[in-house]
Amino acid sequence: MVQKYKYNQIKIKNIEFMFGVFTLIVSLMIGMIAADKFQEMHETETLYPSYALTEISHLSDYNPNLKNTNGNTEIYFFNSDSAGGTVLILGGTHPNEPAGFLTACLILENLQIKRGRLIIIPRANNSAFTHNDPQEGQPQYYTIEGIKRERIFRFGSRITNSIDQWPDPEIYLHYPSGQKLAGNETRNLNRAYPGRADGNLTEQMAYGIIELINKKNVDLAFDLHEAAPEYPVVNAIVASERSQLIATEAAMELQFEDLIYSMEPSPYNFHGLSHREWQDYTQAMPILLETANPIQGRLRGKTDVSLLLTGRDPMYLKAAELGELHVPYDSAGISIEVRVGRHLSAIKTIIDVYSNIYPDKAVEIINVPDYEEIVSKGIEEYF
Amino acid sequence: MTPEMVIFLVMLGLFVISAMWWKLPIGVSLILASTAGALTAGEGIPVRHLVEGSFAYLDPILIIATAMIFMEVLRKSGALGSISRLIIIKLHTKPVWLLIFITLFIMFPGMITGLSTATVLTTGALAAPAMILLGIPALTVAAMIAMSAIYGMIAPPINVPAMIIGGGVDMPYIGFELPLLFATMPLAFGVNLSLGYKHIRDVNLQKILPKLGKDHYEKYGFKLFIPLIVVVILMLGVRIIPEYFPNLGVPFIFMIGSLIGLFCGERMNFWQVSHKAIQEVMPVIGILIGIGAFIQIMTLTGVRGMLVIGSLSLPDIWRYLSMGTMIPLFGAISAYGSASVLGVPYLLAFLGQNEIVVGSALSLLTGLGDLMPPTALAGIFAAQVVGEKNYFKVLKITIIPAIVTALWALLMIYFANLLGSFL
Repeated sequence: MVQKYKYNQIKIKNIEFMFGVFTLIVSLMIGMIAADKFQEMHETETLYPSYALTEISHLSDYNPNLKNTNGNTEIYFFNSDSAGGTVLILGGTHPNEPAGFLTACLILENLQIKRGRLIIIPRANNSAFTHNDPQEGQPQYYTIEGIKRERIFRFGSRITNSIDQWPDPEIYLHYPSGQKLAGNETRNLNRAYPGRADGNLTEQMAYGIIELINKKNVDLAFDLHEAAPEYPVVNAIVASERSQLIATEAAMELQFEDLIYSMEPSPYNFHGLSHREWQDYTQAMPILLETANPIQGRLRGKTDVSLLLTGRDPMYLKAAELGELHVPYDSAGISIEVRVGRHLSAIKTIIDVYSNIYPDKAVEIINVPDYEEIVSKGIEEYF
Repeated sequence: MTPEMVIFLVMLGLFVISAMWWKLPIGVSLILASTAGALTAGEGIPVRHLVEGSFAYLDPILIIATAMIFMEVLRKSGALGSISRLIIIKLHTKPVWLLIFITLFIMFPGMITGLSTATVLTTGALAAPAMILLGIPALTVAAMIAMSAIYGMIAPPINVPAMIIGGGVDMPYIGFELPLLFATMPLAFGVNLSLGYKHIRDVNLQKILPKLGKDHYEKYGFKLFIPLIVVVILMLGVRIIPEYFPNLGVPFIFMIGSLIGLFCGERMNFWQVSHKAIQEVMPVIGILIGIGAFIQIMTLTGVRGMLVIGSLSLPDIWRYLSMGTMIPLFGAISAYGSASVLGVPYLLAFLGQNEIVVGSALSLLTGLGDLMPPTALAGIFAAQVVGEKNYFKVLKITIIPAIVTALWALLMIYFANLLGSFL
């Protein structure tokens, strides 16, 4: 009897051991498959700058602490032969807002410059392109069948990869204001300005951008974003005190093209935002542009590449019927062409208005489509 | 029936079958249900999504595991027992003050960390033996601790759900102090006095003293409390004077406290202590991993959107009811998740009301999510600190306080403009 009991105990232990080994093997396999998928996102997509490109530098040239980190990123300079002003365009502050990134890429790959200088940072938060936000179920990549070549772009996260910056504090204390935000906002580039040379990685990136703006005497600086359609600041131009005038005039001009923008003043008491801190720590006129992007929203349905590119979603249709949205929304959705087109038209109009008001600092870019062109021809035409 | 509803029913059905019928651990059941949901949606076996979703809880898992080790060290060193002795001996003649002190004492870590779990496992575990010895039934003690932990997590200065909700509409975390005090303190004192006062009206110290066990304070003195003091200083320091305190992270702070604890009281085998702590906490870690995967698949397949739209579609008169139920219920998946997924849209739906008061009240509702099974983090750990295996018995006692809390939050939203004028 005792022997049989002991035999059974050994048998149970053996089964438990085998189950443990099996679980370990399965876990390792799952881990390896997932790790491979995550690792792939560190491969940067190739960009093909237009012939107008004059120089490529890196953010580490403006904050050396970024050298050999994932926070380092390329800065593309397009200098014309004629003197004029300097415009900076930032895409990819939030890589989960693809219209911002694609707009920067599209300009970078197509523009010609007649006057002044244009500086483009397509991947402002390079680290955030290397992962996705947990629990958002968003795609890692999306493809655009460009007429020149097929392009595969990464759809990243709103914040720096925790591989590069971890752990988050429970509370993010913004430097230098001391403003408190939820801990993970410490990895949000658009909450990190003016940043610190030796701060955390995101603060280092923010500091590098501020340094670039100051050292290159940037006159007009754009930060391109997208927002959920239920968010109040959407289809908007956010301007600080310094840029209010040109933004208002541009918004009126855009209205003639049936592109309606709300004008949002940069809040005095919300720190870390590009427009707020560029106003306070640089000489540039800051402009932040927002379009409506359903794949970011909390009300969205099935989350896939189709939603990303077409912006069509039955859940948002219901939300629109319920009056929950701050933008017009119908069964046509809000396609990537509409979103990129709005950014392009807004940028071109604001630069034109700026150039008219400050003729000695004028900037003239050509060969960049506007809203009408990109909506009618499709985004593929420009890649 | 919409495809999202079919997927949701498949996920729910398989979860119930595997957890209740096949008796698989809840974490495993959630992973199976998530996989089934993805397969139904035509997403194949979504290895990347299962792992990615789980990673949302990496930090909470580390906090819970290290907090548990810290508590075991304090228990073994004798610090826990000595604190119970001190509370009882000093305050047993003043029951009302005793309960108010205990309430604030338990809430304190939640107020500075914004975490209900850390609260239950630190001051909750410290106060529990004393409260039981004073004569409060163990289950009631657990319920009081769970509710205090939730109020602590919502009370100022640190309220993470309010920050998440505010962050969703670019509202800075400024001016929340008074509304959050109004949202939590009356409830915290009211709930604990109503649950505990009748049991400690007449405390007979002479009867309790023999049960208090060995007085380790006599042997080790102040040294006994050094780990606790170090942990409190490190947690407060990084918040009050961040210029001088590195961001060590809560898990590392608990580990520092645990290692110091090895030399400040009774001797112990650290390997055994940490092994026991991790074993106790492993089912909860499993649940969090499973929940992470579950919510990712819900989002991927559109089920999350269906639920959010469903709750926003209700007529105005039902909106309050849906807020009072859906936000805490979604907390079964994650209180922070609930703040982000439902808290933000509801705040947007109430734009025009005093947003700070509405945001504070919504954060109080999200806090109740920590009482919702299967995660029910506050309930599970509160049951654990009083030695109760079935946490549903604890949750049963918290039903009325939770309903009162939800009503309080809804009244705050209804009268937000009025309250905003004087808060």
